[in-house]
Amino acid sequence: MATIVAQPTGVPVVEEHHEMSFIRKYIFSTDHKVIGIQFLFLSLFFLLVGGLLAMMMRWQLAWPGKAMPFGGLFPEAMAPGGIMLPEFYNSLVTMHGTFMVFFAIMLLLVGVYANYLIPLQIGAPDMAFPRLNMISFWLAVPAGVIALASFAVEGGAAGAGWTSYAPLSALPEASGVSLGQQMWIVSLVILGLSSILGSTNYITTVINMRAPGMTWMRLPLTVWALFITAILALLAMPVLSGALIMLLFDQTLGTHFFLPASGGQPLLWQHLFWFFGHPEVYILILPAMGFASEILAVGSRKPVFGYKAMVGAIIAIAFLGWIVWGHHMFQSGMNPVLGTTFMVSTLVIAVPSAIKTFNWMGTMWRGNLHLHSPMLFAIGFVMLFVIGGLSGIFMASAPFDIFIHDTYFIVAHIHYVLFGGALFAIFGAIYYWYPKMFGRMMSERWGKIHFGLTFIFFNLAFFPMHTQGLAGMMRRLYDTSGYTHTADIQDTHLLISFSAFALFASGAIFAFNFFWSMFRGERAPDNPWNATTLEWQTPSPPKHGNWEEAPVVYHGPHEYSHPDVTDKDWLAQNERPDVVSPARH
Amino acid sequence: MDSTETLHESPDGGTAEAHADGHTHPRYMLVWLWLAILTAAEVAVVWFTALPKSWVVVALLIMAVWKALLVALYFMHLRFEPLRVAVLATSPLPLAVLLVMAVLQEYK
Amino acid sequence: MEAHAAPYYRGGAPETGLAVYTQKVGMWVFLCSEIMFFTGLIGSYIILRFGASETWPAPGEVLNIPVTAVNTFILICSSVTMVKAFAASETGDKRGTRLFTLATALMGATFLGVQIYEYRELLHHDFGPWSGLYGSTFFTMTGFHGFHVFLGVVCMTWATLKAFRGGYDGGNYRGLEVLGLYWHFVDLVWIILFTIVYLI
Repeated sequence: MATIVAQPTGVPVVEEHHEMSFIRKYIFSTDHKVIGIQFLFLSLFFLLVGGLLAMMMRWQLAWPGKAMPFGGLFPEAMAPGGIMLPEFYNSLVTMHGTFMVFFAIMLLLVGVYANYLIPLQIGAPDMAFPRLNMISFWLAVPAGVIALASFAVEGGAAGAGWTSYAPLSALPEASGVSLGQQMWIVSLVILGLSSILGSTNYITTVINMRAPGMTWMRLPLTVWALFITAILALLAMPVLSGALIMLLFDQTLGTHFFLPASGGQPLLWQHLFWFFGHPEVYILILPAMGFASEILAVGSRKPVFGYKAMVGAIIAIAFLGWIVWGHHMFQSGMNPVLGTTFMVSTLVIAVPSAIKTFNWMGTMWRGNLHLHSPMLFAIGFVMLFVIGGLSGIFMASAPFDIFIHDTYFIVAHIHYVLFGGALFAIFGAIYYWYPKMFGRMMSERWGKIHFGLTFIFFNLAFFPMHTQGLAGMMRRLYDTSGYTHTADIQDTHLLISFSAFALFASGAIFAFNFFWSMFRGERAPDNPWNATTLEWQTPSPPKHGNWEEAPVVYHGPHEYSHPDVTDKDWLAQNERPDVVSPARH
Repeated sequence: MDSTETLHESPDGGTAEAHADGHTHPRYMLVWLWLAILTAAEVAVVWFTALPKSWVVVALLIMAVWKALLVALYFMHLRFEPLRVAVLATSPLPLAVLLVMAVLQEYK
Repeated sequence: MEAHAAPYYRGGAPETGLAVYTQKVGMWVFLCSEIMFFTGLIGSYIILRFGASETWPAPGEVLNIPVTAVNTFILICSSVTMVKAFAASETGDKRGTRLFTLATALMGATFLGVQIYEYRELLHHDFGPWSGLYGSTFFTMTGFHGFHVFLGVVCMTWATLKAFRGGYDGGNYRGLEVLGLYWHFVDLVWIILFTIVYLI
């Protein structure tokens, strides 16, 4: 059926409607926008699951050995009488990390926004390989299901930490977990495959599918960040897969890769894991940096300060990210020469990170600030990332790291960069791109309340962990009452737990806003933020195929308050120069 | 792959097909012959000689790299592709070398 | 905000960028990932061998070099038929396309058959993945290479069926070229594995 649709320019465009079954359109869809939204629901679900696990851990840390509320719901093997067993606590620690890193943050950043934004922002009709894209989503689902199901099997879920150091993880008799650990491995191998296929798609799309005129130096910073992230995932994930498979064989086939008793090398696991793990850290922060850069420019009505330096910093961080993995292993007994090398290369990463931070401030400097919810979260991201980054410099220094290794100082650091950094930018991105995804605005008022509560309780929950770590609180300790030095800081555990509960509760405001706005939110115009990038120059939500006519790009990505444009303070990437201003260009 | 990429400053992006139709194919059977000879030579070096072990290892590695290059350059056409495809294809190799060389330091 | 534009993607994917068609770029990107996967496995082998306290068996002591040398030769031949299939498709040689795809699939399957025979013999002599670091690394590396060959054979069987239905006629060579890249990569990995696992 063909209808005539009136375009804003008044040019009628004949549009074809393809009738597709519900399953082809919403379940096994090959449309990058639908897949992005599927990933959004999947990853928000795992964010909730990971959060719930954290709440249980906080209960145990605040009131060791006291029965949990609703504790009677748990089987005897986890929490008899509602009192958590140490083995269950180990599973909680492990699976909280696994869900948050692999299924919540990574999928939110890369699964959701690389899928949704890359084709829209580069002016492509879809991904390079739409069916491959669908497969990578439908691999992520069983991976998550297997990880969740591992709680229900004999011995419980994996309990060797999200880093799963061998030989603890390789010897079922050491950790008490056999099948759960194997399911953890299988789940991550499948997720790794999903991530590799996805990255192949993102990289190929950015290389080969850019609209005419979309040169590398006109790519929005979000696309740059997602592109470099995809390269990191492409090259790091397979190393993890290889290591995981060796670990699986140690458990099931009787191989000896990581078992020192029969000649294997536990340090090899740590090297392989962190050779993946450190690029993974940048997979989890680079896209967040891209979102923040973009939102800060929109909210300040100014171009991104130092666009080329920002691109250079992204590339530099990604490159340096490959040569610093050993800084996770200062305590492992590795060759001291390596330790020093890794220490120096790690400290060097502070330089591109600082360039980005100063450029964000330069972007806001004397800008016409619009403090809407996305902007608030982006500013919050910058503030908290600076704190997380500075504590990172502490840890990069081997002598100090030996003191705080495996303490709550590390826990504070990782939450400042992953929650305060990545998740704040993700919230900003959700508020910012929600109108494009669902065609409605999220509530501004509830967005601001959500930001305020999250910011306050986040800091109350995680900042005291720095001092706890310096006081010697161990990273994966189950019972704080067992040691005098940890019993002394029990009061701060209470403060942290109450704040964590409040933080979790403020997530409910977000969830309410998210679902309520989907049906009752104000209808979104095509370009609610007066933004310049291509995705805002198409309807909200965009149709299948994205464009009525392919866009042609004439300008850089963040042209706000352009001196030659007098009637408005932004200049879309595809606006024809002669239409806007005959004077220059 | 990064900055060496073509910059389409004009809006009408180029769609040139590098792998133009009608180019002559390399002599695949000759490559095959070389691969067969090198494989035979590898086995022969191990089997029939009494050279020092280190010489044998070096010779074997050279022949393995030689064979790998033949496959990559002729069968995978890297010799006939634009340079940037070759850069893309070999970009992980520095990382691979880095990983192995760094971890080997544990046994110095 | 008028978007003056040509419908550049109608009737096919837009092929700007690398000036190489999208499927080929995609396969090369994927192979980059595969390089790192085998780096993980082969690198672990090198590292474990350097750090091993146990003495490594001499070449031929455990493994059967003549059989594997023949098998290596079969895989090399399959690579040359693969590239011949692509060349035939590109030049419009229908008969050659069909014959060479079929030959490639068959030789790939033969390689797998010989490898299964080799595994059975080794397990028969009580040499398995549990036999020290040597057994662990040998079975993991060759096993995952074999798995890649298996995937390649599955794809080649499908490609053969397609070729016999005329799917690669009329200069439609891209599918065979992209599949060939994967096939040659797997061959290339075997060249390395044969040298470092069997001969050194």
